[in-house]
Amino acid sequence: MVELKCQHCGYRWDYRGDNEYYATCPRCRYKVKLPEDKAREVGRRKLSLELRRNLLTEKQPTKLLGVAGTVNRVIEEFGYGKNMLIQTLLRLQRSFGWLPREMVSEVSKQLRVPLSQVYQIATFYKAFPLAPRGRHLIRVCMGTSCKVRGAPMVLDKIQRTLKIEKDQSTPDGRFSLETTKCAGCCALGPVMTVDDEHYGNLRLPDVERILSKYE
Amino acid sequence: MEAVKPLSSPKEIENLRQRIRAKRKTGKPMISVCASAGCVALGASRVLDAFKAELEKQGQKDKVEIKQTGCLGFCEQAPIVTIYPDEICYFKVRPDDVPEILSKSIDKKQVVKRLLYKDPVTGRRAQRLKEIPFYKYQLRTLLECNSKIDPKKIEDYIALDGYDGLVKALFKMTPQQVIDEVKDANLRGRGGGGFPTWLKWETSRKATEEPKYVIANCSEGDPGSFMDRSLMEANPHSILEGLIIGGYAIGSHEGYIYVKDEYGLAVENISKAIRQAEEYGLLGENILRSGFSFKVTVHKGAGAFVSGESSALMTAIEGNIGEPRPKYIHTAVKGIRGRPSCLNNVKTWANVPLIILKGSDWFRSIGTKCSSGTAIFSLAGKINNTGLVEVPMGTTLRDVIYKVGGGIRGGKRFKAVQIGGPSGGFIPEQYLDLQVDFDEVANVGSMMGGAVVMDEDTCMVDAAGYFVDFLLDESCGKCIPCREGLRVLSKTLNTICEGEGTREDMQIIEDVAETMRDASLCALGTNAANPVLTSLKYFRDEWEQHLKEKRCPAKACKALTKYCIDPKKCQACLICLRECPAEAIQGEKDKVHWIDQERCTKCGVCYEVCSFDSVKKLSGEPVPSPPPKGMRPIRKRGG
Repeated sequence: MVELKCQHCGYRWDYRGDNEYYATCPRCRYKVKLPEDKAREVGRRKLSLELRRNLLTEKQPTKLLGVAGTVNRVIEEFGYGKNMLIQTLLRLQRSFGWLPREMVSEVSKQLRVPLSQVYQIATFYKAFPLAPRGRHLIRVCMGTSCKVRGAPMVLDKIQRTLKIEKDQSTPDGRFSLETTKCAGCCALGPVMTVDDEHYGNLRLPDVERILSKYE
Repeated sequence: MEAVKPLSSPKEIENLRQRIRAKRKTGKPMISVCASAGCVALGASRVLDAFKAELEKQGQKDKVEIKQTGCLGFCEQAPIVTIYPDEICYFKVRPDDVPEILSKSIDKKQVVKRLLYKDPVTGRRAQRLKEIPFYKYQLRTLLECNSKIDPKKIEDYIALDGYDGLVKALFKMTPQQVIDEVKDANLRGRGGGGFPTWLKWETSRKATEEPKYVIANCSEGDPGSFMDRSLMEANPHSILEGLIIGGYAIGSHEGYIYVKDEYGLAVENISKAIRQAEEYGLLGENILRSGFSFKVTVHKGAGAFVSGESSALMTAIEGNIGEPRPKYIHTAVKGIRGRPSCLNNVKTWANVPLIILKGSDWFRSIGTKCSSGTAIFSLAGKINNTGLVEVPMGTTLRDVIYKVGGGIRGGKRFKAVQIGGPSGGFIPEQYLDLQVDFDEVANVGSMMGGAVVMDEDTCMVDAAGYFVDFLLDESCGKCIPCREGLRVLSKTLNTICEGEGTREDMQIIEDVAETMRDASLCALGTNAANPVLTSLKYFRDEWEQHLKEKRCPAKACKALTKYCIDPKKCQACLICLRECPAEAIQGEKDKVHWIDQERCTKCGVCYEVCSFDSVKKLSGEPVPSPPPKGMRPIRKRGG
């Protein structure tokens, strides 16, 4: 707190703000320039305030619960790095399966990145689903090699068997169906993966047998 | 495991190498199982478990060593098992074969003949890798070590002269000498562009700003190629060593390795490799007490094709969306956070230790005058021997496809080979004698990369449309020529495939493609029209048939094909009738079936399931009218 006097109207008051250069007179709204010694005092106070604020938010002693806790553990691991935003989202997605709205906004709050930027990343990249997924994720490879070897027919067959379209989940929450650009096993096409298990050299009758393995 | 002491001088690493080699020389038989993603998909991990269980049962656990290696390349014949010291290779091994292999090959030193490679033409069996045509015509400099290295063990790599190149660079060469050596070797960017590597390095070295970064690009997004993945999975240390040498040459102390998140095994192996190298003091502060420090971070990409472009990849590393930016100033000068950043493909980095160790003359002796070294292809599509191939630059495509690749599947006719994914182009039969190197491939409108072989059943219009749709999905949308151009291309190509195209459509496609090439921001846009333009250039008659005659000669475009059943061949077995999802097949037991054209959705299931070849695809021809009811010919099964 520093005492200031307005040069315009002569009003004296205790200034509590944190601007080191100008204060506004509460009576006449005239800009009052801070004398050097008082400016220094304001600067000192500002610094200590900032320090305290940083201590409060970044090394919070209170334990975060629920989604906030999950998000916080990941963010802490990456050292609160804003450039680690993609890695943070990837890790969360891996552990949770998809990115619920609460999780995304929590990441934005804790990393102090605008929500729009988090959503920009979550929607730009293919790896982040923003809707719930089934228990098992089926990915049918639609790479060049798999395509010429008959992947579209395998996809057709799966769609018919599960009665869902691509990018949908079965109503009982058992499967989600997606296509991928290339699973990197071009030599074995057509390829599909269920969860992380690869199935190569697929024939149409194999599909039902494979799907029945997953509950 | 014993605790590892960080190595602190070149002598210590040499001593370690001798110790490891001495330990290996006991002559203990070793079983190595290829555990790359491809082999695992066909059951390699079950084979590995079977070996372990069987050895446990027989009480021979200490007498035989089991090793999991990276990709051997011959994915067609997976899973592959190699028995050392005799180097006997077994293909397509099932868990049931394990006891026989153990009892014969290990105990009695015999060979299990039925699991050896059988030449499809001569029927001769081959025991060793070198005797198999697939390997005989290759020159594997980078991939050679794959069969001898467990990617999760740094000791295996060190035993094979690993990190010797790094020692030579750090202690016997100045950074400038390293760059000169790479310049003499004429190493060009293996990512596809073929930009001289030394030029990039020198630009970064001369840039004044600090810190500098080096980046290894393993964001392999193009469908149909898996070279980077296999290399990263099988031999991560070679990439790491190259990156450290590059860092030393440029004067950078921080490296990034950008890997696609989908490549789980590759991420795992490279992360482990970094940890092990740090334990041994080959990475981190003051490497081998040379005064040079270097650290490496693995950065996972979240699946976007455009992120493989250099400036987009750098913004992704900064934590933003991977959009490219105009490159008036090269990324080698202003890259990550505005600092000089030198980005190379992982295959380029893996070549660096070899060049340093064996010298530029050795490297230049391989390949052609303009492109030295070897080219790594992934061979896929309608070819007999799919897999990973390394040949010297200058090998003809015909040799790659027919000698190494074993020709086209099912004796069909070769139509085109697509090289370089969505940025590359189709190469037709008349250019099969083309000598593969960066310039020759660029001359025919394509670029280096994974090769996908297409036979007469592939429609070139449809294939071009496939790549355009892929890119449309992957375009970041920042610049208009790419975003809107692809949309127009896709729409026009779809109308042609549906048989509603006109002659003007071809003109539109050519105009749009040219605009995109001139005006797009990054390589995704400028090269996006390559597949369409090459398809149009080399297969114009096929396009004309789509436009004029409304027919697809390859019978691949759904809207232009019809299915029908040949009454003479149909055995009335009811299989297609049961499988048909649209219930379009009519008929009954012992009566010849026919397809109701109005109901048929052209899914092709009947074509696939028929074991008598009676279902035919027709395009542009009239469908024979079905015999009237009651007059349906009767055919007894098997008759």
